Amino acid sequence: MDFDLTSEQQLLQDSVRRYVDKSYSFESRTALLKAGKNGSADNWGSFAANGWLMAGLPEAFGGLGGSVLETSIIAQQLGRALVLEPYLGCAVLAAQTLAACDNTAQKERLLPLLVEGSSRVALAYSEPGSRGMPETVALRAERSAEGFTLYGLKSLVMGADGADAFIVSARIAGTQGISLLLVDANSAGLERQALPLHDGTWVEELNFDGVEVGAEALLADAGKGLAVLQEGLAYGIVVLCSGLIGSMERTLEVTAEYLKVRKQFGVPIGSFQALQHRMADMAAEMEIARSMLHVALSSMVNDTPPVRDKTLSSAKMLICRAAKLVCGQGIQLHGGIGMTEEYLVGHYFKHAMVADLLLGSSDSHEAACAAALQAELRA
Amino acid sequence: MDFTPDSSLAEFRQEVRRFLQDVPADLKGLRRATRSPREEVMRWQKVLNDRGWGAPYWAKEHGGTGWTVPQILVFDDECSAAGTPTQDGFVHKLLGPVLNAFASPEQKAQHMPAIFNGERLWCQGFSEPGSGSDLASLQTRAVRDGDHYVVNGQKIWTSYAHHADWIFLLVRTNPDVKKQAGISFLLVDMKTPGITVRPIRSIDDAHHLNETFFDNVRVPVGNLIGMEGQGWSITKFLLNNEHATAADLPELKRYMRELKQFASTLHVGDRLLLERPEFALKLARLDAELQALEMLVQRVARLEQEHRPESHTLGSMLKIRATEFQQRITEAHVEALGDYGAIAYPHPHEPNPPANYPLQTLANGIANEMFFRRASTIYGGTSEVQRGIIAKMLFQL
Ligand SMILES: Cc1cc2nc3c(=O)[nH]c(=O)nc-3n(C[C@H](O)[C@H](O)[C@H](O)COP(=O)(O)OP(=O)(O)OC[C@H]3O[C@@H](n4cnc5c(N)ncnc54)[C@H](O)[C@@H]3O)c2cc1C
Repeated sequence: MDFDLTSEQQLLQDSVRRYVDKSYSFESRTALLKAGKNGSADNWGSFAANGWLMAGLPEAFGGLGGSVLETSIIAQQLGRALVLEPYLGCAVLAAQTLAACDNTAQKERLLPLLVEGSSRVALAYSEPGSRGMPETVALRAERSAEGFTLYGLKSLVMGADGADAFIVSARIAGTQGISLLLVDANSAGLERQALPLHDGTWVEELNFDGVEVGAEALLADAGKGLAVLQEGLAYGIVVLCSGLIGSMERTLEVTAEYLKVRKQFGVPIGSFQALQHRMADMAAEMEIARSMLHVALSSMVNDTPPVRDKTLSSAKMLICRAAKLVCGQGIQLHGGIGMTEEYLVGHYFKHAMVADLLLGSSDSHEAACAAALQAELRA
Repeated sequence: MDFTPDSSLAEFRQEVRRFLQDVPADLKGLRRATRSPREEVMRWQKVLNDRGWGAPYWAKEHGGTGWTVPQILVFDDECSAAGTPTQDGFVHKLLGPVLNAFASPEQKAQHMPAIFNGERLWCQGFSEPGSGSDLASLQTRAVRDGDHYVVNGQKIWTSYAHHADWIFLLVRTNPDVKKQAGISFLLVDMKTPGITVRPIRSIDDAHHLNETFFDNVRVPVGNLIGMEGQGWSITKFLLNNEHATAADLPELKRYMRELKQFASTLHVGDRLLLERPEFALKLARLDAELQALEMLVQRVARLEQEHRPESHTLGSMLKIRATEFQQRITEAHVEALGDYGAIAYPHPHEPNPPANYPLQTLANGIANEMFFRRASTIYGGTSEVQRGIIAKMLFQL
């Protein structure tokens, strides 16, 4: 295995890093936070213009055909700056789910628009009782003359604000399994409630009260949606975890800088061995997490979906817990200043808390790992 | 050692419950919060004082209830369970004992009635931008001018300075001696000209922290507690009282009650949260640890009461472990909410909470509390500093 980036990958990483360093300082992020819900349209336009929205999508539909590695490289850099734009929700979760489905007409119509940034789609799959795990779906789709009518609730849809359509997981009455349907964001009978998250991003809770869609809305064969959804979620988990690696890196850098300048007892606090050791532990925690990300990336490339999904569950819980620890200690080592809203380090912790709960919490993924292990050992 | 339960304690609990029954309804079942709004704190103090419980933590000779430590824990526990307002901890747990031990009769006559009647709230002006863990390095100057001190300097992290009527302040009265020896302890009326309070917003989406500026503030010499230069030893006395209470045991017990309530109300798929093995294990671990912490609180409190030196190291251990527990259990709450744990619900003290978000009643304030608890390992002496104290005092390292 080659752990070095190829020269193209290095260029990609450098260009995203340059962008966030220049256009996404903590100050500009704070201004964006105050101004709106999902970052800025300008930034989104730049993401598109720079090709970041197309990097991981197939060439046949306007993408660059890059692998999950390119997507991960972009996400790590965006995670350093805690970008507010719905890269995860729209450019990854929804776009990859769409790319994995077998409705070619919809793919040909939509993916090129997503790639150029002129349209957005969001993925609505989680429900209050499912807590981010895709198998539990209660939302009902009843067959109608035209297509389907939807009833039920979806929780915390990332990137919903500004999305033109939602990919919705549902159970079609009379069909086994889970199906995926494309629903226009302005459909009659769709109630939307915007909800702010701790990290300053916004999600929406969607209530489907008799929402009608046509037959062409069916994205995967009826009842065959789960596998497609899991493709999208696999990408989502990798991207979320990649972002956290960037967040941990930045937290470590900022904290190390602070330990060099903050003086107590007449010396820089970084001269206290207790804090040196803590920094060393935090760095080790991050490198374990980065290694786990490599495991996940390798699994995305090489493994069958069941093996991959178990690996991703392991990665999700391990990396999210590492991020909470590292970013929480970032606050601790700063003392009082770390607790303030105007200082950046607290925001990394907030994002780590949110990331832990999105796409299935660490607890849920741990339980999934345990179940998979039990099944494996019993067999 | 005697582990037989004290039957008089059960009677005492009944007595507290009877008292709580008659408390006005709008002072009960209040929202979760680290500290209640000013008006509630003040009204609650009056209610307590009317019952003769105006100083529940102090000895009888100081006008307190003279309760034993186990009684105090019962009292706090019942109040927390009933959801009464919080008290002004600064005056009851920090300043009060200092006044009882060091204040002159005139000073007591000036301040005690207002403390008992709930007419005056206090804040603590110790930390400065350059002096946190190294408190003795503080720079705020107080220069004697006739029968006044003239105070100049800046304090930071002054919790509730914007609610407080008075501040107890550490100032440097002599720059020419060893840094600990030049510090004095002053009481200052917050309405004195020259004091400016500027808010700091914290990551729990609240305003309780402040910067407090002193610009030629004239403080009567009569407001000096103890002697000039005695401030540091008074502070050590005060900070030693801070450890046992820093555990916030009644709040820990409230967190546990609420977590159990989450467990038996929230669903994952078609099962209750408590039936999920990963959650049940976590709950069981927290529950066991809380029992041990509760016992540690009792031990520390007893040692403190008897002025035994071990109380310091054990108190520091309690501070470290209890505050870390506060962080873990509030995180467990937020995680127990599932997806909804990620929502930034409006702060419980928001006067006009905006929308009605899903699970709002249940979740109300818990995430704010979780973020606030990141500070509990920082304020009152950081965990790192506590560890240093333990290693030094216990093992002479
Ligand atoms: C929510 C909150 C409320 C507060 N309320 C008040 C209040 O009402 N009144 C008041 O006066 N103050 C208050 N404080 C201030 C509090 O007491 C200080 O934050 C605390 O003493 C730490 O100081 P600092 O923030 O300057 O951190 P620093 O002292 O700069 O510490 C930074 C880091 O260095 C570490 N460190 C420092 N010295 C050592 C050492 N010798 N060995 C190893 N590690 C070390 C610390 O543990 C920490 O991790 C409050 C603070 C907070 C966060």
